[in-house]
Amino acid sequence: MRVKATLILTTQQRTILWILLIVGLVVAFLADLLIGSSLIPLKEVLRILAGQEPENDVWQAIVLQFRLPKALTAVAVGMALAVSGLQMQTVFRNPLAGPYVLGISAGASLGVAILVMGVSSFLSFQTLMNLGNWLIVGAAWLGSALILVLILAVSLRVRDIMTLLILGIMFGSGASAIVSILQYFSSETLLKAFIVWTMGSLGGVSMQQLGILLPVVGVGLLMSLLSVKLLNVFMVGENYARSMGMNIRTTRILLFTSTSLLAGTVTAFCGPIGFIGIVIPHIGRMLFRTANHMVLLPGSMLLGAILLLISDIISQLPGTDSTLPINSITALIGIPIIIWLIIKNRRLNLMNS
Amino acid sequence: MEPGENNILSLQDVAIGYWDRQHKTVFEHINLSASEGELIALVGKNGVGKSTLLRTIARLQPELQGTILYRDKELSSYSRPLFARLLSFVSTEIVNIPNLSVFDFVALGRSPYTNGFGRLEKRDKQATLRAISQVGMGHMVHNNLTEISDGERQRIMVARTLAQDTPFIILDEPTAFLDLPNRYEIIHLLHELAREQNKTILFSTHDLSIALQEADKIWLLNKDQLHEGAPEDLILNNSFEQVFRSKLLTFDRRRGDFFMPKTLSSSVTLKNPNSLDDYWLRKALSRVGVAIDTDNSRVTSGLTIELLQHEPIQCKLKLPNEQEIEIRSFYQLNRLIRQFIDS
Repeated sequence: MRVKATLILTTQQRTILWILLIVGLVVAFLADLLIGSSLIPLKEVLRILAGQEPENDVWQAIVLQFRLPKALTAVAVGMALAVSGLQMQTVFRNPLAGPYVLGISAGASLGVAILVMGVSSFLSFQTLMNLGNWLIVGAAWLGSALILVLILAVSLRVRDIMTLLILGIMFGSGASAIVSILQYFSSETLLKAFIVWTMGSLGGVSMQQLGILLPVVGVGLLMSLLSVKLLNVFMVGENYARSMGMNIRTTRILLFTSTSLLAGTVTAFCGPIGFIGIVIPHIGRMLFRTANHMVLLPGSMLLGAILLLISDIISQLPGTDSTLPINSITALIGIPIIIWLIIKNRRLNLMNS
Repeated sequence: MEPGENNILSLQDVAIGYWDRQHKTVFEHINLSASEGELIALVGKNGVGKSTLLRTIARLQPELQGTILYRDKELSSYSRPLFARLLSFVSTEIVNIPNLSVFDFVALGRSPYTNGFGRLEKRDKQATLRAISQVGMGHMVHNNLTEISDGERQRIMVARTLAQDTPFIILDEPTAFLDLPNRYEIIHLLHELAREQNKTILFSTHDLSIALQEADKIWLLNKDQLHEGAPEDLILNNSFEQVFRSKLLTFDRRRGDFFMPKTLSSSVTLKNPNSLDDYWLRKALSRVGVAIDTDNSRVTSGLTIELLQHEPIQCKLKLPNEQEIEIRSFYQLNRLIRQFIDS
């Protein structure tokens, strides 16, 4: 008897899905520009974006200096986290892996903690703040680069990928332990400054910093798109990958470097933002019903950008002057989605049972 | 190596094992060969090093010593991408990735031929579809790997190696986890591929009787020795018996299979013996330790059986006290005999 293939999308269904996602991205992006403490009409936003004079100069300043960089950051961060999460889930063949399993965010936290709570005991905190958040970005970047170097050094010696996963978690825990010691000995003001950083923020990225963030994330995403074939072969296991002519070391270096570049940069500019990296690949698999990275990777990029834009809109608490930490919003959106996926499929539809 | 033989693969004094802090040798002095178009079964007890040997030939781990030649050139002289076009490998891992379709999975076999993005050209799609239909799964091209049975999945694993289009295929325990008919089917499929496409296929297995029936050659690994030859050669020179003999098992050379001999401590008299038809009756009685005696040489239980019909069985069991019981199944017969002997 011919078994009916129910789970695969037709080409037509897939095309419709792509169109919906692209439209969704545009709508979410515009909505993020409209909505905030004050609502700016769509017509005005479009005029500002087109470079024409709006009715209200304040609106122009809000959109161009505040909301546009924030929305662009959300798009870049959403894409970066979704893609690095997908890569880690595939490489480690683990449905709960995410951008931070290698210890990237712990490394970044360590860098920032040393800067905020360690170095500033010698300099005044005010001096640091005057230097702008470039220092924080640099410290976070150095911290995650340190972890990356450790992971790469180990990955050249260790054959077994599960050992690497455990080592990544250990490196992360080690970094967190040092962070705790720093926290214990630091003053209340500095502690709060650090805690605020860990809550994540899309709004702190200036247009000038976007000039760094966007190209670096762009390079990371390009590296991922070039790894589509490697990811597809890696998905079925390293033995198969090797027997199909892949060089495991080169592949690991490429994938770990692009993941660290993406996750490390995002963490440096916006703090550790959780759940996007874990949830988005699952939503992608569910919508596209495929494990093929040729589809899943661009799909996850679009979904990540959309979800982070929506999270940002919610975190603005539209109509009020206060803002919630973006990390709480992504968690509150992400957790129900994961629970729903688990209950619906009885297990996360990803890897070997 | 014998002269004039067309070897695709030969192992010369190879040692296999692992490079650890102190390197551990699993097996050494291996001399084996494989010819084009042969189906070769690798058999041996658990832990003797079958997987290690297969992985070494597939270049998933290095040999510790000796030379492995593929078409008269050392394995290491081939670049990995080129080697992927010469030898394909199926491991024991079950690939069961929920959102992966049969087509997408088999198409991965085209990786050595596709460009850097893994883009499938027309010839790759054709090769993939051909591979899937060659293993008889053409109707399931668009199903997901989770939707198919274990036997079908194993066929798909074979299809991927066909898409990879290599003259040499290695499979590590392709019959594990399968039920009996599926075991026969998958080995039969390998047998046909070796015949019709002149592929050399090497697989490890614990299914001796299937291997003996279908393989052109057996590589038999024992603790420190190694036998190579047609199944019949190894049966008749007692290699199998040496390797697998145990307290419980005896090798039946005529059938080429192992069986567990039973101690027969008692006997019944069969009133109307007919050696051809008594096969199943003897089998059933041997399980309760009872032989059929015609010459009264054994301790007799005093029971007599009169066969009335063979299929399905129908007989009369006569007790020493002349009481007769009508019997209509082997189950009933064995139950009564056990009750009688135990009391």
